[in-house]
Amino acid sequence: MFGGLHAPRALPDAGALVALARSFTPRVEAHGPTPVLLDLSGLGRLWPTPHALGKALLAAAAARAIEAQAALAFTRETALVVACACPGLSVVPAGGEAEALAPLPLALLEVTVEQQELFARWGLRTIGDLARMPPAALAARLGPEGPRLVYRARGEDAGAFVQAPLPERFEATLELDWPVEGLEPLAFLLARVLEPLTAALAARGAKAAALAVELGLTDASTHACSLRPAAPSGDPRTWRTLVLLDLEAHPPRDAIARITLRASATPARAAQFSLLDPALPSPERLAETLARLHDWTESGRSGSPQLVDTHRPGAFAVQSFAPGPLPRGRPEAARSAPRVALRAYRPPRLAHVLTKAGVPSFVGAPGVRGAVTAAAGPWRVSGDWWDSAFSREEWDVALVGGAALRVFLDRLRGEWFVEGELD
Amino acid sequence: MSAATLPATAYWTPVIGGITDEPAPASVAERKRALEDLLRARRLQADAPPLRGEDRRRRPLATGIAELDALLGGGFPRGELNEIHGPASSGRTGVLLALLARTTGTGALAALVDPLDRLDPASAAAAGVDLERLLWLRGPRPPGCAGRLWGASGSGEEPQVKALAQATGAVATLAGAGLFDVVALDLAGADHERRRLPMTTWLRLQRVVENATTALVMLADGHVACSPGGRALALEPAGLRFSGSPGPACLLKALRARARAGRHGLRTAELVLAAV
Repeated sequence: MFGGLHAPRALPDAGALVALARSFTPRVEAHGPTPVLLDLSGLGRLWPTPHALGKALLAAAAARAIEAQAALAFTRETALVVACACPGLSVVPAGGEAEALAPLPLALLEVTVEQQELFARWGLRTIGDLARMPPAALAARLGPEGPRLVYRARGEDAGAFVQAPLPERFEATLELDWPVEGLEPLAFLLARVLEPLTAALAARGAKAAALAVELGLTDASTHACSLRPAAPSGDPRTWRTLVLLDLEAHPPRDAIARITLRASATPARAAQFSLLDPALPSPERLAETLARLHDWTESGRSGSPQLVDTHRPGAFAVQSFAPGPLPRGRPEAARSAPRVALRAYRPPRLAHVLTKAGVPSFVGAPGVRGAVTAAAGPWRVSGDWWDSAFSREEWDVALVGGAALRVFLDRLRGEWFVEGELD
Repeated sequence: MSAATLPATAYWTPVIGGITDEPAPASVAERKRALEDLLRARRLQADAPPLRGEDRRRRPLATGIAELDALLGGGFPRGELNEIHGPASSGRTGVLLALLARTTGTGALAALVDPLDRLDPASAAAAGVDLERLLWLRGPRPPGCAGRLWGASGSGEEPQVKALAQATGAVATLAGAGLFDVVALDLAGADHERRRLPMTTWLRLQRVVENATTALVMLADGHVACSPGGRALALEPAGLRFSGSPGPACLLKALRARARAGRHGLRTAELVLAAV
């Protein structure tokens, strides 16, 4: 037996009716958000009569605040059409399909607009009118679609039941008979959970972009963490290492009794790299290496430095380390003269500077102290007056010991600072 | 009991890895030869025979500075612990950035472990470093620091030494990963704290990088450690060059330095680093 469910009003969620149907049977055929068709075979053991089953369907819909109408019939076409046409619960007995469909308007049969206009010109208004037409005559006028429409109008099924695919959830749980403490025994257990999980992902041509780890502890609490490496990975060993490294950095407070892993699937990456450029490291190995440096990565003190578009001295940003392929047409690295580099003091060191005729003659600051033998400057820099203004005079000075420093006078505060060593 | 009074077997046991049944060598020369044989055997086992036509020689990493590359015999060798040392303003950072620029310019990756947080990204970019290919690990910096290493808050040296130990651990991780052509450790300015680290630290780093294609480069104020096959580049400041007579309206034009390869190297090279 088949059941049709239809929601005449807008649904709170597009998948609400399908979810309701799945609570009764996994064999559900969805025609958009509504209607849905249920294969009710085998449910007679739970609900002895079709009426009881229909009422249970409507009660479940009401419990989910869905205004629904249901129809139970022995053909799919009948169940769907009657459910869309008749409010409340309708039960069509075996052999009564054509009779039940006959008075219903032809538009419910999902015919095209052109076919509807044609049938209207022929004087066909109801499904029963169409059911009485000779199939051979319709085949001569409409082709193979003609008899198919007649059979559908008589309540006969055409085609196969098309089951809606179940939503894919990549999740695995392992309940442990004995709680485990320590990372070493956990490594074996993680492999048991991760291998089927990544195999399921690989079967769908996907990788895990993120992994949510939920560990049930013996004190009834939960230790949760989420891992998101720089690139998706489908390698169970990589994920195991990442999970273990995270647990090493943030150990759970009690023994572990349950392991649950949820993977966020993403299509496997396909990228074409250059044959001639040096091979980039695999994202998995890079993610593993960065995870081993969690002391540095977690505090946000690692990554690639990046210059920012500002005149403020010393301004930079740090972005996550994710090197890409070399850009095309890049000129080969040429030999160039080496440059003087600044070894920056962060923050700049407050200095005591003596001047003679406006030129620094002595610099004293924590770690550096000496008379100035030569000085070049001043270079005036200012900006950001609309936000946090800066204004300074920079000098490059050479001290008696041979050290070269960059010092500056903060013109807003009237104080001298050492910005760093020139090296 | 001192090491000199130990029986020969007890003295050699840790070195030869538990082979205690062999008779102990008698003389110092024999001991030295046995040790060299062991080292040679370990190195030979580590290297598989090359394929036909395969060039297994590891090309050193050039700095891109012709004078220095000639002095270093082509550059800093891979699989070795190298060092660049010298006092402040001797051009050590400029040389390191030149090496990083040359390495990242070929598309390879480089890492800089910077426990003192001294790197100036603008200087690195001006030197030609591809910043996207540089992994920069910056040391911890508690708020309010203004003095010497990580501030003069009077909290003792132990946290600072611990931070340096963390930095060397990070270097070992990066060198062991084999993803980076150059892993640099900037210890310049942390000479006092560096001396508190156990000497085995450098042996451990040397062992980690031994079979890798990574060149480990240390930047320091003075000589720290260098593996037998590595290069030690000593730099000395040789003065500044200005665009005119020093004073207002003149520019710092260049920093001059004198480079010497090896602790007792006789050949030197004059180095001129242009000011940005």
